[in-house]
Amino acid sequence: MRLIKSVTLALVCLCAAQIATAQNGPLRIEITEGVIEPLPVAVPDFIAENPAAQDVAVNIARVIASDLSGTGLFREIPHDAFISQITSFSSPVQYSDWKAINAQALVSGAVSVASDGRMTVKFRVFDVFSDTPLGDGLQFGGTTGSWRRIAHKVADVVYSRITGEGGYFDSRVVFVSESGPKNKRLKRLAVMDYDGANLQYLTDASAIVLAPRFSPAGDRVLYTSYETGFPRVNILNVGTVKRRALDVQAEALTFAPRFGPDGNTVVLSLSQGGNTDIYKTTVNGGDLQRLTSTPAIETAPGFSPDGKRIVFESDRSGTQQLYVMGANGGEATRISFGKGRYGTPVWSPRGDLIAFTKQANGRFHIGVMRTDGSEERLLTASFLDEGPTWSPNGRVIMFTRESKGAAGARALYSVDITGRNLRRVSTEGAASDPAWSPLLK
Amino acid sequence: MKLNSKAILIAAAVFLSACTNNGGFGAGGTGAGGAGGTGDVSDPTTVAYFQQSIGDRVLFLVDQHTLTTEATKILNEQAVWLMNNGEFSAVVEGHADEQGTSAYNLALSGRRANSAIEYLVSRGVSPARLKSLPLGKERPIAICSEEACYSQNRRAVTVVAAAGLS
Amino acid sequence: MKSGTYISGIGHGFFILWALFGGFFLSTEKPVPLQATDVSLITMAEFAALTPPDVPPVVQFDDPQPVEATPEDTAPEVAPTPDEPPVLPVPDEVAAPELDVSPPEPEVAPEPPVEDEEQPVIPTPPVLETPPVIAEPDEVATPAPAPRVAPEPAAAPEPDTEVAETETPPVAPDETAETISEETPATAPQEAATEIVTEAETPASAAPVRSMRPTARPARPDPVVAQDPTPPSDAVADAVAEAVASTTPSPPARPTGPPLTGGEKEGLRVAVQKCWNVGSLSSEAISTTVVVAVAMGRDGRPDTGSIKMLSFSGGSDGAAGQAFAAARRAIIRCGAKGYDLPVEKYSQWQDIEMTFNPEKMRIK
Repeated sequence: MRLIKSVTLALVCLCAAQIATAQNGPLRIEITEGVIEPLPVAVPDFIAENPAAQDVAVNIARVIASDLSGTGLFREIPHDAFISQITSFSSPVQYSDWKAINAQALVSGAVSVASDGRMTVKFRVFDVFSDTPLGDGLQFGGTTGSWRRIAHKVADVVYSRITGEGGYFDSRVVFVSESGPKNKRLKRLAVMDYDGANLQYLTDASAIVLAPRFSPAGDRVLYTSYETGFPRVNILNVGTVKRRALDVQAEALTFAPRFGPDGNTVVLSLSQGGNTDIYKTTVNGGDLQRLTSTPAIETAPGFSPDGKRIVFESDRSGTQQLYVMGANGGEATRISFGKGRYGTPVWSPRGDLIAFTKQANGRFHIGVMRTDGSEERLLTASFLDEGPTWSPNGRVIMFTRESKGAAGARALYSVDITGRNLRRVSTEGAASDPAWSPLLK
Repeated sequence: MKLNSKAILIAAAVFLSACTNNGGFGAGGTGAGGAGGTGDVSDPTTVAYFQQSIGDRVLFLVDQHTLTTEATKILNEQAVWLMNNGEFSAVVEGHADEQGTSAYNLALSGRRANSAIEYLVSRGVSPARLKSLPLGKERPIAICSEEACYSQNRRAVTVVAAAGLS
Repeated sequence: MKSGTYISGIGHGFFILWALFGGFFLSTEKPVPLQATDVSLITMAEFAALTPPDVPPVVQFDDPQPVEATPEDTAPEVAPTPDEPPVLPVPDEVAAPELDVSPPEPEVAPEPPVEDEEQPVIPTPPVLETPPVIAEPDEVATPAPAPRVAPEPAAAPEPDTEVAETETPPVAPDETAETISEETPATAPQEAATEIVTEAETPASAAPVRSMRPTARPARPDPVVAQDPTPPSDAVADAVAEAVASTTPSPPARPTGPPLTGGEKEGLRVAVQKCWNVGSLSSEAISTTVVVAVAMGRDGRPDTGSIKMLSFSGGSDGAAGQAFAAARRAIIRCGAKGYDLPVEKYSQWQDIEMTFNPEKMRIK
C-alpha cells in the first residue's frame, strides 16, 4: 500500500512538474483575422485663445476633420456625442470620457491670432485607449489667410501619426476645367487645393488644353495646348502663370508630357507622319532624344520615381499594352498581360505600384499592378474612367470619370488603393485630367 | 429623278453643315474661303462644292486608320479638286470616338489624318499644301454614346482654305 | 412671324451687347497670380525655448488687458503632461520663427497670361454654357460594398439594433418568469463584408453577387465544467494536491487548473480580432507582424500599462510602432468589459502573448 502510494506520488510529481512548466510560459495566441473599418476620431473645436481666433479655431477643426474622414480611414465622432469638452489646451485629457464614446484618437488644439494677423496653431494627438499622447504637441505659424493650409498641415501630421505613412492634405491638383456641350467643349487649366478649395484658373478657354502635369516641386506645369492651332506641349509657371511652348522641333506635334524627377528632363509623345513615338528632352526643349522607334502608337510615358525607368503604353503587340524601358530607351519589357487594353500608366511616388486605365468588355477601369505587372487589381468600373494620378503619399488615386450620353460630362473622382472610399472630388463645374502635386513645402 | 434626290441630299447636307459648323474644328482659320461663306455649292471652284458635293470627310472603322474603299473614292475626288484649285491648301483633321484614352486617341487620330494625307499625296497633291491636325476625341460631331454617333466621329476631315496655312 | 423677328432682334441685341461689354464681367476670370502662403512649423519645445519663460508663449496681441496668467496658461503650456516624452524636432518641416515671413506681396504679374510672342488676348467667347451634367457613377443600382470588412460577413443591422461586437438575441420580457428581466435591445454585428469589394468587382447588374447573410457563428465552446469544489478526499487526491502545492512556486491562493481548451483559446482569439482594426494602417504597417505581451487581471481585463511589444518582423521600426498601436487598441478595446476566460484557469492566462499577423488582411 505504501509502495503504491509512493509510486503514485512520484507519478503525480512528474505530472505536476509538467503542469508547472506549462504555467511558466504565457498563453500564446495568434491573431490573423482583423477588421478593416474607419477609425473613430474626435476633433473638438480648437480653443480660441483670443476673440480674434474664434471663427478660425472652429474652421480649422472642421477642415482637419473633413480631411481625416475624407480618407475613408477615419470616421469623425459627432460633437453632440461628446461627454467632456476640451476647454483648455493644457489641462489633462479625460481619457475615460473619450473611451466611453469609442473615440480611438483625439485631436485637440488651440489658436491665437495676433494683431498683425499672424496666427499660431498648437495641437496634440491622443491615443485614447492607451491613455497617452501620440507624439508631441506641435505648433504652426502663418497668416490668418493661410488657415486652410495650416489645417491641412495639422491633418497631415495627425494622419501620419496614426497610420504611419505620410499625409497628402497639404497638396494641390491641377486639372482641366470644362464647360459647354460635348462637341464644343471649352477647356481651361485650373488649379485647386486637393479638396477643391481655392480654385484658380491658369489659362483662358480660347484653346483646347489637355493633361497638365506638375513638376516635382509643384511650381511648374507641363500641358498640351492647341493655341497655335496644333497640339504642342507648353510649360507654365504656376506662380506667375507665364507660359511658353516647349520648342522641341519646328512643326512637331507634341503631347502627353511628364517631368522627370529632376524637374528638368521631360518625356513626351511626338507625332510625325502619323507615327507617335516617345522622346526625351529638357524643359528648354533641347537635347531631343528619341526613345522608341516602332510604327506603333507609343505614348503616355512616365518616369519611375528614381528616374531610371520609363513606363509607357504601346500598341506594338496589336493592342494597347504597358511597357517598361530604361530612361534612355532601348529594349522595352511588356508588363500587362490581362484581357483588354491598358493605357495611361503612372508610377506610384512610392515606387511600388503602377496605376493604369484598363478597357475591357466595354467598360473602363482604374487599376494598379506591381511594377513587373504582377498582382493586377482593378479599383473602379464605369462607362469611362481614365487618367489616374497618385496622391503624394501613394495611397489615393484621382482620375477622370465621364458619364454616358449626349449630356455626358466629366468629373474628378478619387479612390483608395485598396479600392475603398470611391468618391467624387468637389469641383465647381465639369473637370478632367487631374494631376496631383507633391506635398507643398 | 436622280437629279432630284441628289438635290435633296445636297440641301440636307447644307442644312446639316450649317448645324455643325461645317464639321471643321475651326483652329487656324475656319476653313472658309472668305468672309462671304463657302460659296455656291454648284460651282466646282468653291469650298462649298468641296465640302458638300465631293465630301470633306472620310470615316474609319473602330481603332483603324486604314482607308475604306468608300474613303478612297472621296479622297480621289478631293485630290482632283485640290489639283484644280491650286490656291487652296488643306488641314486634315483627324478625329476619334470617345471609346479610348485621351492620349491614345490623339495618336490614333493623327494616324487617320496621315492616312488621308498620304493618299492625297499619292494622287499628286503636293505634301507642302497639306497639314495634319490630330484632335483625338476632343471634337466629336455626333454626341451620343452609341455606335451611330461613334461611326460619324471616327473621321478625317479635309478643311481647305485659300489664304494658305496660317 | 413678326414676333419672331422681334425676338430675334432682341436676342441679337443682347448678343451684341454681350460681345461688346461681356469682357467686363469676364475679366474677373482672367488668371490671377497664385497667392503663396507661407507656413512654418516649429515644435513646442523650440517655441518655448524662443520665448522668455515668464511670458505666455503666445504671440502678443493688442488686447490691452493683461493676459490672464493662470498657472496652466503660462510656460508649462508647451510641456504639460509630465509623462509626455520630450519634444522632438521634426527635421523636414522645422523652420525658425525668423524665417517665418509673411506671404510675399503678389508679384506685379502680367495681368493676362500672354507671352512675348504676340498672342491676341482673346476674351472668353460669349458661349452660352449648357450646364454640364455631372457624371454620376452609372451603376447606382448596385449595392454599395459594406464600409466594414470583418472576418464574418454580416447583413446590415435592423434599424433598431445597436451595433455591438457580439450578437445578442432580443430578449422579450418574459411574463411567466418570476423576475421580470429587463428588455434588452437586440444588438447585431455591424454590417460587414468578408473582403473589400471594389467597384470593379461589383457587376453592372443590380443583382448583388453575394448576399451579406450572416453565416452560422462558430459555436462558442461550452464553458468547461468547473471542478467539483469538494473532490473526494482520498489518498491519491491528497497526494496530488500535496505534490502540486509543493511544485508550484506561486502563492497557493491562486487557482490553478488545466490548460485552456482549444475552444477557450479560440474564444479569446475571436474576441480580440473583432477589435483589431487594420483599416487605418499604412501598407508597410499592414505587412508587419508584431508579438505583444499583456498581463491580465483576474476579471479578464487587460492591464493597459503592461502591454508591450516583444518583437516584430516584416517592417521598419516605424511601421512596427503603428502595427503595435493597432494591436494595443484591439486588446484594450475588446477587453474593456473583460474577456470571457475561465477564472479557475487564471494562472494559464495571467500572461498572454499575442501574435498579430496581418498577412491575410493585406490581400483583402
